[in-house]
Amino acid sequence: MNNITLGKYIPLDSPIHRLDPRAKIVAMFALMICIFIPTGFYGYAVIGALLVICCIAAKLKVSYVLRSFKPMLVMMLFLSVVNAFFIKTGEPIFTIKSFTLYSGAITQTLYIVIRLMLMIVITTLLTATTKPLDMTLGIEDLLSPLQKLHFPTHDVAMMISLALRFIPQLLEEAERIIKAQASRGVDMENGSLKEKIRAILSLIVPLFVSCFQKADDLADAMEARGYVVGAKRVRYKQLKFRFGDVMTIVLVNVLLAGFITAAIWMGKNNAL
Amino acid sequence: MSIRFEKVDHLYSPNTPFAFQALTDVSLELSEGKITAVIGATGSGKTTLVQHLNGLLLPSSGSVIVGEQTIKAGEKLKNTKQLRKEVGLVFQFAEYQLFEETVLKDVAFGPQNFGVDELTATETAKAALKTVGISEEDYEKSPLELSGGQKRRVAIAGILAMQPKVLVLDEPTAGLDPQGAKSMMDLFRRLNREQKITVIIVTHNMEHVLEYCDEVVILEKGRLIFHDSAREFFEHPQFMERARIDAPNIIRFREMCRQKGLELSPDILTVQQLAREIAKRRKKR
Repeated sequence: MNNITLGKYIPLDSPIHRLDPRAKIVAMFALMICIFIPTGFYGYAVIGALLVICCIAAKLKVSYVLRSFKPMLVMMLFLSVVNAFFIKTGEPIFTIKSFTLYSGAITQTLYIVIRLMLMIVITTLLTATTKPLDMTLGIEDLLSPLQKLHFPTHDVAMMISLALRFIPQLLEEAERIIKAQASRGVDMENGSLKEKIRAILSLIVPLFVSCFQKADDLADAMEARGYVVGAKRVRYKQLKFRFGDVMTIVLVNVLLAGFITAAIWMGKNNAL
Repeated sequence: MSIRFEKVDHLYSPNTPFAFQALTDVSLELSEGKITAVIGATGSGKTTLVQHLNGLLLPSSGSVIVGEQTIKAGEKLKNTKQLRKEVGLVFQFAEYQLFEETVLKDVAFGPQNFGVDELTATETAKAALKTVGISEEDYEKSPLELSGGQKRRVAIAGILAMQPKVLVLDEPTAGLDPQGAKSMMDLFRRLNREQKITVIIVTHNMEHVLEYCDEVVILEKGRLIFHDSAREFFEHPQFMERARIDAPNIIRFREMCRQKGLELSPDILTVQQLAREIAKRRKKR
């Protein structure tokens, strides 16, 4: 339960941690767009280098970043197998009976796998260095133009922050229930299908019951403190842009512009 | 069944920024057939300690010996099921583990996991429910319909139905009213005396320790700082202070008398005994 890497905040003090969440979210989006602009492996090398620098600046351990790839491993494997069978461009490399592997398949697969990995690193970088609550504040601010269209940005942000707040608690609760049921002889790993279903039920039912109870209690507690849905609220924590934040946004925008120019230039010269 | 801890360390989330040493060098032998209280401030490692007893947690170093089984650091547990059957562990707020449609089914769930057939499991479940004082008309109710105290009794029955030799309870009276807490403690004493079950209770309630427990184990920041009889424990108020625990009223009263120059015997543990003693002394004067 404790080794879920994806989306977990790592409490450290680094320049990246101190950046304004809004700047980080904007930077993440800009980098994501860069990844989808076709500039070939050169572009990925630039982004990769940038991300390595960011990871070092954020004091993230290599093992932590590597661990975040683990959930995607199966997907990457699946992709490579499918690509190997269906992409028939480029030079044939070798042939086993009726199956021929083409160089196009390898470069294509590598291209997609690297793209996936870069995306994972970007999101990991954001979630590992930004407190979930700061993140929702940032999202709320970034969505605020939508208020003009009567989109309830504040309520959405509140929902997200409440959901985030309960994730660690739910994990803890799930672990506790698993342990309690294990004490009653439940074996989550072994056993027949029927036993396994019952084992999972013995976890899910209590978890649901306690979820509903917690939601009820929280709603009461919020109302008791005067929370009204849709009412105007002031905020305790004010986000402020500093020099570093402005520089980050300028930098990623320059990068984005660079990528677009490069893509157009490469398209013209057929360099891809 | 004998229970022995030998130089046990426990480290949570090793090799991460969240690493936390919950137990440090704990060596301890828990007496068979007794009621032992495990006390200590919040975060002192009480829950971690008791979760080693049925192999939910494995020691990071050292070993835990429960009956025939040795749980060594770095080794996989061989006979987990047997261990869990023999050492019944009741969690804090155990009522949250109920999940079956009916009370009876939920209690019979435990024994069935240990390979007992449905009919026999239902029989042991009925016996366990009777022991904890749940009346027959509640057997077919949903566990969610019961009151908090009743739910906890059902959860405890769920463990008793496994017929453990050792019963471990993590703060079994937390959140109960004084009456409910008292009858809960009476239940544990009855189980201990009549069925010869070794009982280990994690608790903050010193009145309960005074009235029900034979031995006391104190943890402080994951280290064992005291293990002796309850009587010895109440003779040494400094340990209560160290564990940030208020002494029971009667012990405080005795201490105050001692400071005023009136020695009372350490055998006096209830208000009745105290009243009798005072009456006797007055007569003498």
